[in-house]
Amino acid sequence: MRTIRFPMSREDARSLSAGDMILADGEIVITAGLPTIQRLVACADEARDPPIALDGGSLFHLGSYSQDTADGGLEILYMNPTTSTRFNPLMPRLIRHFGLTAVGGKGGLDAGCVDAMAEVGCVYLSFLGGGAPLHSAAIKAVRAVAYPDLVAHYRLVRLAVEGLGPLTVGIDTHGNSLFDTLQQQAADRMPDILARLAAERAAS
Amino acid sequence: MPITYDAVKALSAQLYDWSLRRVPPDTLAGLETALASETQDGARQVLRMMLGSARKAEAEDRFVCSDAGVPVFHVTIGTAARLDGDIKAAISDGFDELVERISPPLLKHVTNPLTNERGYKGRDMPLVTWDVAGGADWVEILCQPKALGSGRWAALETFSFPSLAQIEAYVMKVVMQAGSQHCPPVIIGVGIGGSFDVAARIASKATMRAIGTTNPEPVLAAMEQRLLRAVNATGFGPMGTGGDTTALAVHVDYASGHGYTPVAVCFNCWINRRTRARIHNDGRVERME
Repeated sequence: MRTIRFPMSREDARSLSAGDMILADGEIVITAGLPTIQRLVACADEARDPPIALDGGSLFHLGSYSQDTADGGLEILYMNPTTSTRFNPLMPRLIRHFGLTAVGGKGGLDAGCVDAMAEVGCVYLSFLGGGAPLHSAAIKAVRAVAYPDLVAHYRLVRLAVEGLGPLTVGIDTHGNSLFDTLQQQAADRMPDILARLAAERAAS
Repeated sequence: MPITYDAVKALSAQLYDWSLRRVPPDTLAGLETALASETQDGARQVLRMMLGSARKAEAEDRFVCSDAGVPVFHVTIGTAARLDGDIKAAISDGFDELVERISPPLLKHVTNPLTNERGYKGRDMPLVTWDVAGGADWVEILCQPKALGSGRWAALETFSFPSLAQIEAYVMKVVMQAGSQHCPPVIIGVGIGGSFDVAARIASKATMRAIGTTNPEPVLAAMEQRLLRAVNATGFGPMGTGGDTTALAVHVDYASGHGYTPVAVCFNCWINRRTRARIHNDGRVERME
């Protein structure tokens, strides 16, 4: 399985196809908070720098429990993805403004986001939900925590990770979304599925 | 020795704590079965990760998911149970104390729906339902924390004298609405009939039944099997990135009603958090799940 350095380069992003699985090494930025994403949109709208740099970066919808350590550092006790579609209306603005190369979480993003990602050269990576023991073990260091006024999982956190994943490329830079394809495939199959249900009801 | 406030407080808190660190054995077995039959490589990889995450959580006493959900308890009180103290307050107090001492700490997920502010406390939290068991000399507590990931896709629609075809088509409509979102493979609960609240409760209770058990009503057993095949034919797959396994089980139950027939559909994500125990009149605690 291919290991990719993060923040992901534009070249690496463009080399991936929906359905590929990768491992992540390097630095990522995470948050699970809608208020956080709203603050980042406000930074974009008001041409302010966010408290953690995002230009050309990788921003994931991952929630974490961060806390101060006795020696003045920071630690993450656990980390796991949240539902990305909650952020559908706001993500195109962030993807375009910060030129993000990778976003992710679980459940995918909508067509508006897919368009922005194709335009910019950004992929969506699907994390295992219920994968806290695996994801947390990949954390090597906490580089920065911003927005400490927010509850822990809403904070913006920059992490060093090693061997994070496997992560599934859910949306690639070429406009292909596993989530849209599977939704359409299921809709196309539904007449046959309902017909089979009817036949099985009649036979039972 | 009666069933005391202290015993209920300690056990309800323990059940919640345990539920966060272990995927139930029936669910692990369901994932293993799915892995054996899954035909897509990516889906097999995701299923292997699920099993690995569950085993690591149990071996290292970690949370399987960072989202501990909100505490949900279903309490059944035997009519021959001897109670001593306010067991309703015991459940609430037990959760409050757990929040103070649990390691690692919980994230703040209790949400005021009017302001979206989050904390550890809130009106009617923990969420508790109460039932009565005729003749039993115990109190049973089932803990099933619920979180947004799968919780937000539950739906209910009320029909008038629906056919089975209409009911099953509605289940599939809700499955389509959830799509890739609810951390599949899921456990699907379907409640038919009764009234608005009864149908929802039946659906929720249906998710608590162990995977692999057969519905004693032949009509429902057949419906469960064909709906499971139908859901898995959609192809959403593990984590919704494609595969043969979108659901581990579909469980259906019903209550008689008036001809206006609510149909409720709800989901548990693949970790299917569920713990259950009884406190007997002699003080003995019997861990059941």
